[in-house]
Amino acid sequence: MRRGGEDPRPGLATDDALRAITDTFRSVSAGDFESRVPPIGDTETAIATRTAVNGLLDRVDAFVREAGAASAAAAEGRFYRRFLTTGLQGAFRSSAEQVNQSLDAMSRNAARISQADLARLSLADELESAVLTVSEQVATAATQMGASANGLASFARGAISDAERGLETVTSLRAASDQIRDAVDLINQVASQTRLLALNATIEAARAGSAGKGFAVVASEVKTLANETTSSSEEIMGQVSTVQQAAADAVGVLEGVSRSFREISDLIDGIAVAVDGGAAAGTTGLSQLAEVLRAEVSRFVATIRSS
Amino acid sequence: MRATEVRPTGVERTFGENEMIVTKTDQRGVITYANDLFLQISALREDEAIGRPHNVIRHPDMPRAVFKLLWDVLAERREIFAYVLNLAADGAHYWVLAHVTPSYDGAGRVVGYHSNRRRPAPAAITAVSDLYARLRTAEARAASPRDAVQAGWQALGNELRERGQEYDELVWSLTNGSAR
Ligand SMILES: Cc1cc2nc3c(=O)[nH]c(=O)nc-3n(C[C@H](O)[C@H](O)[C@H](O)COP(=O)(O)O)c2cc1C
Repeated sequence: MRRGGEDPRPGLATDDALRAITDTFRSVSAGDFESRVPPIGDTETAIATRTAVNGLLDRVDAFVREAGAASAAAAEGRFYRRFLTTGLQGAFRSSAEQVNQSLDAMSRNAARISQADLARLSLADELESAVLTVSEQVATAATQMGASANGLASFARGAISDAERGLETVTSLRAASDQIRDAVDLINQVASQTRLLALNATIEAARAGSAGKGFAVVASEVKTLANETTSSSEEIMGQVSTVQQAAADAVGVLEGVSRSFREISDLIDGIAVAVDGGAAAGTTGLSQLAEVLRAEVSRFVATIRSS
Repeated sequence: MRATEVRPTGVERTFGENEMIVTKTDQRGVITYANDLFLQISALREDEAIGRPHNVIRHPDMPRAVFKLLWDVLAERREIFAYVLNLAADGAHYWVLAHVTPSYDGAGRVVGYHSNRRRPAPAAITAVSDLYARLRTAEARAASPRDAVQAGWQALGNELRERGQEYDELVWSLTNGSAR
């Protein structure tokens, strides 16, 4: 600039030029990249200076625009939009390449993350379909179990009432055999009185001598009949005792059977509560639980999908 | 003044890998700043460039659809990369990879536009010339200039749909693919 030999007022021209450059630098320093050095003279030096200064500003302008736009694009996931290094030299270029390496790393990470997202989504799909299948199967099984439990419960109720009916029958059998015993007692009394009568008749017949001979035969027949009656009665008594013993055994067995079926019935009620849920105590049934599980997993899967 | 007044000579001009052609315009596309390389390669004096609409270097082989896209994208305050063929005042032509961006003031208002142009890779030029020729053919078939923009725009849309790319993705695939 000092070589402005042809210029009649070289100092003043240089001052104006420097002022113009200073103004531009102040604007650009303040972030106004629209500012450039206007023409500052026709000398070779003036032109070269202006070109050099504006060239520098153009490079800085380009770098700033690229840096902003490239990182904005990366933030939007448009990783193909790189920092365009063409036209930049030296530190401008190496910094730009550094930015591109960072963008590459971001892009790799983004790819990894989206891969992980995909894996997570497919995991969610699998979980959902598995839980859906399981809960459907549980619901089906619960329905079947409920039906079976109902069947078993009514079967048990039937068995209990059968056993109770059996008990009644056996009890009436016992009453009947008691009546038989009374009747046999009566027959026994009659037989022993008959025997007594036959004895007296035999004595009276002996006393009547030959006239009582026929009667003695009759009295002896009567005695034999009375004896046979007694022995038959004893046999009957024996049979009745056996029947009564058997009835007592049957009562024990039937009572055991009906107790067992009551226990079974309670167990079946327990199963029904587990399957269908009890109205009391707020217990949740198996099929409701399966539904709750399915709903929870759906919510979980939805969260996973949307995050 | 329209660039069509200059007759293309077929002479191709190129510039260096480390060089950048820079212009700034106001919001209508009137040139407010041009760097020395722009003036030199466009064969314009500074006073011929400043204050002139940017179509001063428009080449007749450029499809209208590309400039429609450029202005549409800028209107959305977005950046655009485009391969552009320009016509110098002396009839020579040169290809650039242009990066056009809005310029904002401190309050975030658009005050104008800025274009940085880099030297494109030869392979990218070949691919883009073919694409642009197809767009121009579509535009040439149209009856009126307005129909021409529409026809070229549709042809560009079809080409991009076929590739499954946006225009900037296409530009970047050419740029990343050949210039790295
Ligand atoms: C910052 C900026 C730079 C531009 N650079 C060019 C360019 O280098 N070549 C060009 O033909 N058009 C360029 N244009 C687009 C022109 O303004 C114009 O739209 C285009 O030349 C088409 O002109 P036409 O509508 O008269 O056909 C640029 C526009 C802006 C905003």
